[in-house]
Amino acid sequence: MRGAGRRVGALARKEFLHILYDFRTLFILFLMPVVQLVMFGYALNMEIQQVELAVADQSNTPASRRLVETFRGSSFFRLLPTEGGADQVQTLFATGQARAALIIPADFSRRLERESETPVQVLVDASDANAATLIRNYCAQVLLEYDQGRGARAPVPFEMRPAVLFNPDLRSSFFFVPGVMAMILVMISALLTSVAITREKESGTLEQLLVSPVRPWEIVLGKVLPYIGLAFLDAALILGVGLLLFSVPFRGSLSLLVGLTTLYVLTALSLGLLISTRARTQQVAMMAALTATLLPTVMLSGLIFPIASMPRPLQLISMLVPARYFLLIVRGVLLKGSGLEQLLPPTLALGAMTLVLLTVAIRRFSARLE
Amino acid sequence: MLPILSMIRKEFRQVFRNRQMLFLIFFVPLVQLVILGNAITTEVKHLKLLVVDLDQSRESAALARAFAAAAGFDVVGHTQDQGRIKEGMKAWRVQLALVIPPRFGRDLGGGRQPQVQLVVDGVDGNSAGVALGYARGVVAGFAQTWAGERGLGPARVHPTRMEEQMWYNPELSSRQYMVPGIVVVLLTLLPMMLSSMSLVREGEIGTLEQLMVTPLTKYQLLLGKLIPFLILSCAELALVTAAAVRFFDIPMQGSYLLLAGLALVYLFTTLGLGIFISTLARSQQQAMFIAWFFMVFMVLMGGFFIPIENMPPLLQKLTYLNPMRYFMAITRDLFQKGASLDLLLGEAVPMAVFGALIFSFSVIRFRKSVG
Repeated sequence: MRGAGRRVGALARKEFLHILYDFRTLFILFLMPVVQLVMFGYALNMEIQQVELAVADQSNTPASRRLVETFRGSSFFRLLPTEGGADQVQTLFATGQARAALIIPADFSRRLERESETPVQVLVDASDANAATLIRNYCAQVLLEYDQGRGARAPVPFEMRPAVLFNPDLRSSFFFVPGVMAMILVMISALLTSVAITREKESGTLEQLLVSPVRPWEIVLGKVLPYIGLAFLDAALILGVGLLLFSVPFRGSLSLLVGLTTLYVLTALSLGLLISTRARTQQVAMMAALTATLLPTVMLSGLIFPIASMPRPLQLISMLVPARYFLLIVRGVLLKGSGLEQLLPPTLALGAMTLVLLTVAIRRFSARLE
Repeated sequence: MLPILSMIRKEFRQVFRNRQMLFLIFFVPLVQLVILGNAITTEVKHLKLLVVDLDQSRESAALARAFAAAAGFDVVGHTQDQGRIKEGMKAWRVQLALVIPPRFGRDLGGGRQPQVQLVVDGVDGNSAGVALGYARGVVAGFAQTWAGERGLGPARVHPTRMEEQMWYNPELSSRQYMVPGIVVVLLTLLPMMLSSMSLVREGEIGTLEQLMVTPLTKYQLLLGKLIPFLILSCAELALVTAAAVRFFDIPMQGSYLLLAGLALVYLFTTLGLGIFISTLARSQQQAMFIAWFFMVFMVLMGGFFIPIENMPPLLQKLTYLNPMRYFMAITRDLFQKGASLDLLLGEAVPMAVFGALIFSFSVIRFRKSVG
């Protein structure tokens, strides 16, 4: 066992020197997470603000002007007066000057008095479907407000008080800083490991390792250890910047976070290992690792888009994305102070995933070598 | 001319010999198109609602039923223990809780404006905001029915009705918006990664020396390296566009020719970035990391899934430095609005300028030498 320890240590040292060999790699590995964190923290804002609304008030009566004023009063819209009807809206949409239009028909006031319901036209540039849905909902809210103000809708007979827990100011950085941690960790671990072993194959040095008295699992361990270290340094860096710059709270237990982060890093490393057993060139390894981690983590894990809103088959696919579970863990521990008993389901899922990936990877690896 | 041709032949052989690579270049993007095109929805559905009814009256039950019936909420439980709210949120089983106070029914009947509390998990600020909006809608609806049942309804004043028209995308499918976006991402990722790694690879495995002793000039070497990737990228564009239109029913309103032409202009940028990365990196691993770095920056700041209009003004200005921003807008306008070239000039011109600058700068930086 002592010999094994020494051999693993030597391999780990060699791999570590490979990383250190060029300051540029380290520079990238530590600068990149910080830049990404800052960008995510400031840029990611899914809430739409200030939609340009073209207003054609063809009625021009006190009632219609009050409706326009109600729209102006809501902080959501920036009004853009126009005279024309649908054709002018067309050019406004095409040139991107407006994203929605309100057309109040000429007989608005007259119909308001006589008919049971008076139509108001709302045109929305729906090329971005999500934005369009939001814009429509806001328009409906403003119209409801207008009707309630005129006494056309019943007032609410009770008061509804919202109480927002864990993130009372609804700051998006609280949501995204843990997210960036999940993303960077999986990418660094999976990408680096997958390429590290493939590099030996591509440059023909794997044979040299094979004829040495090192056993396959020792090679794997020695290769992987330095990256675990790197991943942890990065995690600490992201966490530090997140806590200091974005004042993200840390409500849970540090040791729990460290333990479960280790588990997550292991999952990602196993994924990288598995890729490296199949890939013949670094290019292939990298493309495969990138395909398996970047977009699924950004889009399917709940990092940005809520999983519950996705179509059913995608929800099932998202169960294969490790970040999905780690996000529950890291957000739970940091923002809510969740304990292990509350995070048991995602922890078990990660554990099972690691076990499967690691077993398959080591089997394949040994099979190739023997 | 001949040396370039043999160089091109060599590169093509290298690509086609590698089955795994072909699989990754041509098959995987199609899968991504299907999966990711459907993933993006900021619509918030299936919010897990816990009902804490401390009143247990007919009125409180009616209010709970109104929430249960509303789209957007899934009732996950009823309880009278307020402690279960926080507990459930910590375990991610509950996203919001409706707390109906004792005496709610009696106060409502007596017109004493009881207070109902809506406890929201604020970790996902966006969902929380949307959830509050939904809840307001439910409450307004409940009020309407409640007043109607008691004959207190609005008798004399008539409400308005919103007649909505969703232009360019009447079914509000986000695929229409996302799939052209994925096309752009692929057309950035593949050329940039492949060209940078392929250039660095020669240096890393020691074949650059062999190339150096050939009579190839630096420009011939670059052309020989880039033309195969240019052709591969065009094939990728054709394949992905065809799949999008044929199999995923993404309507293409504009001209294919215009799309191809502008894509060619854009490829100068991404291939140029590939060369640039290869001048910075000494190993394929490094090249990959730098490419990833560029990629994340470009995707985040390109309007792919975070609307640029939502960003703070300073960041919005920064996005003008991002070549992907222009091609993203061009591709979407072409697919969805059928824009003509004169409407796209505002994007096409800066994109061409960026392409020319990046490409020539990188070519000048590139050295056909070791170390």
